[in-house]
Amino acid sequence: MGSVKISQLTKEFSGVQALNNVNLDIQEGEFFALLGPSGCGKTTTMRCIAGFEQPTSGTIHIGETKVNHIPPNRRNCGMVFQSYALFPHMNVFENVAYSLNIKQLNAGNLATKLPIYLRLLNRKLGKYPKAIEQKVMEILEYVELDKHATRLTSELSGGQQQRVALARALVMEPAVLLMDEPLSNLDQKLRHSMRNTIRRIQQDLGITTIFVTHDQEEAMSMADRVAVMDQGEVKQIGTPIELYSRPSTPFIANFVGTSNVLKGEVVGQENGHSIVKGHGFLLKSMNHVEKNDVNVIIRPENIKAFKPGTISEDQLTNIIEGKVLVSTYLGSIVRYDIQVEEYQLVVDTTFVPGEAILTEGEKVQLTIDPERVLLI
Amino acid sequence: MKNRLRSFNGLTVVKILIYAFFGIFLLLPLVSVFLVSFTSQPINLLGSITDPGILSSTIEKFKAISLANYEKIFTNKTYFSAVTNSLQLAVLVALIVIVMCIPIAYGIARTTMPFKKTIAALCTIPLIVPTFISAYAIIIMFGRSGWVTYIYNALGGEGMLLDPYSMAGIILVQVFFFFPYALWPMVAAFKVSDISLEEASLNLGARNWFTFIFVTFPLAIPGVISSALLIFTVSFSDFGTPIILAPKDLNLLVVEAYREIAGFFNWGGAAILTVIMVLVAAFFFWLQHLFTKGKNYGSVSGKPKQQKLNDAKGLTRTLSVYSLVIVIVPLLAMLSILLQSLATTWGKNPLPNGYTMKHYQTIFTSSIGNIQNSIVLALGALILSVIIATFVSYFVVRQNSSKLDFMTSVPLVVPGIAFGIALIQTFNTAPLHLTGTALLLILAYTIRRLPYMVRSTMGTMRSIKQDIEEAAVNLGATPLTAAITIIGPLMLPGIAAGSILVFITVIKETSISILLAPAEWAPMSLAIFQNILRGEYYTAAAMSVVLVVIVLILQAIANRISKNQL
Repeated sequence: MGSVKISQLTKEFSGVQALNNVNLDIQEGEFFALLGPSGCGKTTTMRCIAGFEQPTSGTIHIGETKVNHIPPNRRNCGMVFQSYALFPHMNVFENVAYSLNIKQLNAGNLATKLPIYLRLLNRKLGKYPKAIEQKVMEILEYVELDKHATRLTSELSGGQQQRVALARALVMEPAVLLMDEPLSNLDQKLRHSMRNTIRRIQQDLGITTIFVTHDQEEAMSMADRVAVMDQGEVKQIGTPIELYSRPSTPFIANFVGTSNVLKGEVVGQENGHSIVKGHGFLLKSMNHVEKNDVNVIIRPENIKAFKPGTISEDQLTNIIEGKVLVSTYLGSIVRYDIQVEEYQLVVDTTFVPGEAILTEGEKVQLTIDPERVLLI
Repeated sequence: MKNRLRSFNGLTVVKILIYAFFGIFLLLPLVSVFLVSFTSQPINLLGSITDPGILSSTIEKFKAISLANYEKIFTNKTYFSAVTNSLQLAVLVALIVIVMCIPIAYGIARTTMPFKKTIAALCTIPLIVPTFISAYAIIIMFGRSGWVTYIYNALGGEGMLLDPYSMAGIILVQVFFFFPYALWPMVAAFKVSDISLEEASLNLGARNWFTFIFVTFPLAIPGVISSALLIFTVSFSDFGTPIILAPKDLNLLVVEAYREIAGFFNWGGAAILTVIMVLVAAFFFWLQHLFTKGKNYGSVSGKPKQQKLNDAKGLTRTLSVYSLVIVIVPLLAMLSILLQSLATTWGKNPLPNGYTMKHYQTIFTSSIGNIQNSIVLALGALILSVIIATFVSYFVVRQNSSKLDFMTSVPLVVPGIAFGIALIQTFNTAPLHLTGTALLLILAYTIRRLPYMVRSTMGTMRSIKQDIEEAAVNLGATPLTAAITIIGPLMLPGIAAGSILVFITVIKETSISILLAPAEWAPMSLAIFQNILRGEYYTAAAMSVVLVVIVLILQAIANRISKNQL
């Protein structure tokens, strides 16, 4: 088991900057997510850790060891590939046993190597030692696949294949477990249960795990900490709650959940509130920032919508006038697109049965709690 | 390049070895023969590196460099006529094949022609038979005592319908045995245009024939031209037909080059003819490549277009009869060989005078060695090409080694006889004295047939995703171990299909066998050739039948394998 420390990692692909000064400090036993849109460099970062890409500059430490010059086959990073990359000519048992075979192969001399090669080429050509057999079956039991040990991987469902890939990586007792978009090939329902399975196994084994995803929900629900990446740079690192409540840029505010981003200017202070002014609004915020030109970030669920004149006395701060463009009924919530000057704000309100939904074209008043107005 | 860490390991060593292999056995001979075309004397480049004595004599030879051989192309009548005759032959064959194939291709691609499957099946016969056997079959049919001649005379004709020992005879063989190479690309070309275009044309008031000439055909033209260029190259490089059929007064490049080397040991003459052959073949190969680039007609792309086929009864029946008449000719040729092999004697009659298994007994007692030789040599070439092709496709697909990709396609361009001459010239003396050994024969077969093998293995290699290999490395395997335990087994189907193809083509190989095979290693093709030269026609026929049967069986196995893959 080990921590992973990445310092000033830079990677260029024939002149294109894929990674730019990436710094990550991942604790031992931590479940860490690399989150970002496609092409942001998250997969490249992971491949650098695994050793499939050689950094242009910067260092990577696994535990205390600098691994820059260790070839990928000796890094002991178990990796679960996006496509699972199961060996199609081997059955479940053989897939999982592969790394154990290789370990034996590297330890042995010429005489002991031959039988290993033979059983790697064809299962009929050699028997597996008890120790390997036991270890493989143990891990297969752990991922609930012991009954499928002799199946070909192509005969398994997507979720089962995923677990084979996981077992195959875990059996080598890796220092770090790397997972590349582990859930992207599964359907919605399976994804949910697999999320829990992976999280449970990670907690159980306490293995340092890094996983790459473009799905913020996945990252937020599974990881201890998340690094949001964009255009080859790490934009913010934090726990899911920190990322959601205090995004450091408008990009993150929008990437992690939905946000309304308005341009504003801080025009003064009043009772510990910043007063920020923009087209169509004048808002108070509990936030204080050094600069004057700010981005005002408001989450959709933090805006309340009222028909004009129906706002109760105690909510008479931070009122914005607007007009309903679209209202979408989404079951437990109603989502409105509301025009406020040049902005279209997204507003989520809890649906209360019996209460009328605002109709398109209707005038509307919005209020926001100053505590929920974020300035960045 | 992607990973400097992996730059030196077992695979790198393999890569260097493969480069060395191509360098020594493909590029060196071609370069040498090019140099000899200037010096007129054998050049020993390898020897020049190892032995200072040879080096100084090589330098001497370079001092005597001249363009004399190049002038000879125009001054020497034999050479000049060889070039023009060869070009003329190839052009005629290409034109005739195209014209002949247009109705068949249209019939298969665009109509509900009856017997389509039978016709398609018969089209494979010419591809199985080595050309010198086809040439010999034409002699049995059209020769002075052939059965076609008999029928022709019985119908009142004088002499022979067509003298097989002539340009016309050679054209006849090449047209009927090369046309399938053009047919399938042309079928694909005709499938490109949509029936709706034709319906539009008809709807606008055009007649059927007008539509064909001005709508259907123009759309197929790129495919047709590319087919013509392909046939040109195949005909131009063919050695089997001319060596059997070319009369003394008809000079052809391949035959002339063979005579210069086998008859007179005229290095300069053989070299200049070789250079011309390679240049012409390479030029047309390049032209053809240019035409097919970016126009992959037969390829799989998206959903298949629903095509309405022309089902006018008169048209489809006419096309069917015409196609059957064409494709039946190679079949008749093969049946003639079969009858000859079973005949006691066969004079100028429609059928043999009597039947016997004697000739088969003869070859299975006295010539069993040739059969064994063929199999051993083919196996040798097969093993070598499997190993090389597997690694080459690995380097090309995984490491984008375009140099190796290019190198393995060079043999496609070099006519067999040219390559043979280059090899003899290069490996005639120490330090690598290989001429006259089975090893050189195997090496020659391997290089010549490697492109087929590489194509097959490269296809499978492409279908193996990169991450499967990375997974193996991630689990602790070195790149070489990953290649052996993961990539190798996954490539087996491609390797199997490719190696059968190599085996077949090596058994069929004529030019290299005739030029390079030592007496004690004579393969079947050489034995048949010598039997024909000696006038032992019946045993030649029996041996040909054995050869074709072996090829047929292997082809059937190969088809099964590739079907299972799909």
